[in-house]
This record gives sequence, C-alpha cells and structure tokens, in this order.
Amino acid sequence: MIGHDVFLPAPLLVLSFGIMIVLAATACRRSAGRSLLGGMVTLLLALAVVGLHTGGVSGSEGDTLFIQDRWTTYTAALSLFSSMCILLMSWRDTAHEGAGTGDEYVLLFMLGTLGALAMVFSANYMPFFMGLELLGVSLMGLVAFRRRPATAGHEAAMKYLILSGVSSAILLFGIGLAYGVTGSLRFAPPVATGDIPAALPMAATVMILVGMFFKLSAVPFHMWLPDVMEGARVPVAAFLAVVSKIAIFSSLVRYFGAEEQPPFLNDILYAVIVLTILGGNLLALRQTSLPRLMACSSIAHVGYLLIAFLCPGLLQAGAITIYLAAYSASTLGVFAIMTAFAPPDGPEGTVIAQWTGLFSSRPFLASAMTLMLLSLAGIPPGIGFLAKFQIAATGVAHQRDLLVCVLVIGSIIGLYYYLNIIRVMLAAPLFPSAGQNRDSRPELTALVIVLTIIVVIGGLFPVRAIHPILPMHPALPETRDETVHWRAGLR
Amino acid sequence: MHALALLAAGITVMGAIMVITRRVAVHAVLYLVVTLLALSVVLVMLGASFAAMLEVIIYAGAIMVLFIFVIMMLNLGQPDSQREKEWLRPRAWLGPGVLAAIVCMELLYCASPLSGPARLPVPITAHDVGLSLFGRYVLMVELVSFLLLAGLVTAFHIGRHREGGH
Repeated sequence: MIGHDVFLPAPLLVLSFGIMIVLAATACRRSAGRSLLGGMVTLLLALAVVGLHTGGVSGSEGDTLFIQDRWTTYTAALSLFSSMCILLMSWRDTAHEGAGTGDEYVLLFMLGTLGALAMVFSANYMPFFMGLELLGVSLMGLVAFRRRPATAGHEAAMKYLILSGVSSAILLFGIGLAYGVTGSLRFAPPVATGDIPAALPMAATVMILVGMFFKLSAVPFHMWLPDVMEGARVPVAAFLAVVSKIAIFSSLVRYFGAEEQPPFLNDILYAVIVLTILGGNLLALRQTSLPRLMACSSIAHVGYLLIAFLCPGLLQAGAITIYLAAYSASTLGVFAIMTAFAPPDGPEGTVIAQWTGLFSSRPFLASAMTLMLLSLAGIPPGIGFLAKFQIAATGVAHQRDLLVCVLVIGSIIGLYYYLNIIRVMLAAPLFPSAGQNRDSRPELTALVIVLTIIVVIGGLFPVRAIHPILPMHPALPETRDETVHWRAGLR
Repeated sequence: MHALALLAAGITVMGAIMVITRRVAVHAVLYLVVTLLALSVVLVMLGASFAAMLEVIIYAGAIMVLFIFVIMMLNLGQPDSQREKEWLRPRAWLGPGVLAAIVCMELLYCASPLSGPARLPVPITAHDVGLSLFGRYVLMVELVSFLLLAGLVTAFHIGRHREGGH
C-alpha cells in the first residue's frame, strides 16, 4: 500500500504524531510541563485540521475504513474542544504532581482522545471497535490516577475494567453475528438476505445496541457510571461524561442513520428512553456527592438526546447538534467550577454540603455555577433552554406523546436537584472562613469565562451563534431546506 | 463436522468458566491453556489454520510461560515445597488434563482416515493474512499499536502505584 493512497482523516494523523512526539520527549527527559504543552499544542493542531484528510476517497462503497463529512467534522471538533478544556482543568494538578506521573496522565489522555476520534471517524466495525477499546483502556488508566484515597481510584478503575469488558464482549458478539449475516464489516445495521432467518440480524442489531447503551450508560445498563465518576478525579469524570459520550453517540447516529428505525428497534428505544430519563432523574434526587449527581444527570441527558435520535425528520439534525453542544458546554462548565472550587490537594469539594455559602465567599464561581446548572435544567438564559425546546419540538412533530410527557416530568424532577445546589450555595455560610485556600488559578478562570460566554451567547442569540456550526446529517440531505425554513420561522 | 466444532466450542466455554472460578492462580492458568487449545481447534475448523497456529504458539506457548514466570516471581507467601505440593495434587491437573485429552482425541480423529475427506472452507493462508494486515488494514495495525501503548502505560502506572502504596 502506498502511503499517499491511504484515506485518513487529518486529526487522527496529527494526534498520532503528537502522541509519538510526546512519548519520545518523555523518553528523553521526563517533564510533566512539557508533556502538557505538547498535548495542548497537538489538540489545537488537530482542531485546526479537523475537516481535512490525506489520500483520495476510495471509490468502492464498503471498502473504506474511515469516513469524513459534516457530522464527523462537528462531533470531532466538539470532542477535541472538550478534550482541550479538560486538559486545561487538569493542568495545575498534573504539573504539581511532577514528572513521575504527570506525563503518563497526558499520554493516556491523548490516547483516549485518539480512541474517541477513531470512533467518530469510523465507517467500518474495525476502527470503531479499536477506538472503543483504546478509549476504554486509556480511561481505565486515567480513572486509577486518583491520589488521595488511592484505593478509591483503583476500585473505580476495576469496576470500569470489568463492565467495559462485558459490554465489549456483547458488542463483539453482535459484530460477529452481523458479519456472519452480511459478510461485510461495513458500519451499518445488518440486513437479512437470502435464506438467513430474520432473527439473526435482529439479534446482531440488539447486541450491538446493548453494547453501545452500556458505554452510553442508558438505564438498564447505567449502574457503573456514578461509581466510576465518583472514584475518578474531577477532570477524568468530565472526560467520561463528555468526550466518551459524544464519541459513542456520534457512532450510534452514524450506525443507525437518521431515517426511520425498524419497528422492533423502535419499541426497544422507546422503553430505554423512558427508563433512562426517569431512572437518571430519580437517582439524582438523593445524591449528596456532586460527581454522582452529575453522573445521574448525564444519564438523564442521554435519554433526552435519544428522543431526538428516535424522531427523524426536519428538526432532528438541529436538535441533536444543539443538544450535544449545550450538554458539553454546560457539563464542562460545572466540572471546571468544581475543579476551581476544590482545594489543591485536599479531598476535593465533591460533597454538595461543602458548597454552602459560596455566593458570599466566591461570588464569581457561584454565579457561573448557577448559570451552568440553569442551562442544564433548560431555563432560558442558557443554551440548554433552546436545546430542550428543540428536543420537545421533535417529539411533538412526531406525536410521541409518551416521550414528551416523560421529558416534561424528567425536566421537573431535574429542576428540583439543580435548584437544590443553588439553594445550598445561597445559604448562609456555616464557617465564616470557608474560602481560606483561595489560590488563584488563572487558566481555570479563563476557561470558566469562555464556557460562560458560549452558554450565554448560545442562549441569547441562538440563531446567529449556532447556525454557522450546524452540519446537516449526511443521511438526510433532503431535509436541509425544510430545516432552514423552520429556522426562518423561529427568527 | 458440526458435532466436532460444537464439542471444541463447549470445551472452550467450560475451560473459560473454570479459569474465572479457580482460586489458585496456577490452576486458572492450566485451564486457560486448555481453553486456548480448544479455541485453536475451532479456528482450524473454520479454515483459519494460520490464526490457530498463532493462537497455539503465541498464547498457549509464549504468553502462558510469561504468566507462570510472573506467578513464580510473585512468590505468594507459603514455603516453596508446600506450594509445589499444592500445585501438583491430582485435583489441580485432573480437570485440565481430561479436557485437553478430549481436544487431543478430536485432533487425532480428524487426522485419521476415519473422518473421511475433509471439506474445509477456503483456507486462509499466511500470505492472505499478511496481505490484508499490511495492505487494506495497515491503519488498523497502527491503531492496535496505540492500543498496546495505552495498555502498557496503564499497567505501568497501576503497577507502580500499588508498589508505592505499600
């Protein structure tokens, strides 16, 4: 194979080279600061070339390993941006840790991002599965990075390893069945041909769906996420909640396409969505630890996203893209504020009760946190309002009454626990000297400001701020005009 | 042919279950060897004889030696003589031995003229494997190398971390 013939999206190439350079630099002299710098530059470069690729597009359908279109460009850019934010969040701690472990953290972080990108760009089962495993193995290492109670990190990593192994096995079984049915590794649901019984492709599809739901932590398969996110460091929890979910959701949309799903799949998705929204929100009600609460809320948000996935048509592409952006920005914001609030090397400020009186001690953080939480709850000043509105619109357009009802009930429950955090922050401080270890962390302040601007601008001027980045879904080229019409109506 | 494949597959599953339920690491390793051998028999019946050879040489051979080496290095507590006695009891090797014997008999049956002319699917040779690995799937090979790197760094980190904790 000649090098320049290989079709390869440029971000993957840049990220691979970056990893090798960081690895070589580590071999020369171990330094956490240099690795962090290398990682950040690599991510920036990858973001800059996110729409490019090497080689020509291979002509024959089903022969290509990777694919590149507007959907991949959008989700890859979103994952890379989120990765950059998370790397910035972990900057101080990693540099503080010194050369021993800091550079390993950066290396694993970049490998995980590479895995996520491989999933986003995959048009074949093979890169998809490799990316999934790459993401899983790196995440296991990242989860184990917790210093303070070292056993907590190891326990969380062990849980993640076992459950991720189980889900990979189910997924692989499904892929094997699909290959048996179609004889091709193309990344699309298998269709029965000839004298193959119809149950076989159905079983394959369901197994692949179950494997994806495990990784996406939809409700019957959600138990691992709160435990793992609580056991991991705050930035790693953010990586789990944002980058890994974007990658898997992106592959889910790529796999099943945006058209009407077959009836058996529709029923399964219906049940999973109802369970996910109600389960995630109800679980979040009684949480006292903020990472656990965010984990439950992220389960619920996956449910909302799946509503948009289930309702193909005019509004779908816009709803999915805006929701992904809103969810990533708001969740990243909450985690960034959590990192900024945490004392440098204490037991991090993860218990909600520790946030008492934040409005009087650190008003900037508290206001930003309020904004992010309101955006997650779907209240107008934030971008989350528009996102939830569009999800509801897709549901109404398809007359999915049950799903819209569940969406409303879930949002009401969600309001309770999001507002509860704001109530705790507004309460009078228990100890007057609550903000004793207030070290300034300029990079986090800048990050919080940027995310706040994104959330506010997206919420206040949705039409202007969001349209330029809106890609149409590749499977739905014909809906483009109608979506534009609908948006014109909104204006 | 179907019955033979099912037999080998059954032994694979049984061995795998025994691997994860044994309490002594060496017993689990013995069952793992049987599992890998039975799996390679399944691969042969699918026409992938090259993959089967690799399975035997690399996994059942090299990696198992590595496992046993590590278990011996770790040297868990008891005095050597007691530990060896514990390992070599019939209870420990009888199960894997019986399963391995079944796989071996299956192999002999297939090799003997009793089984009739073999009707293999199109066999996959080393040549084909090499062509796809370094032709169409060359990027996958690169991706796998990154996967191995991730595994290596993770194992290195977790292993050293625990050592520091003691």
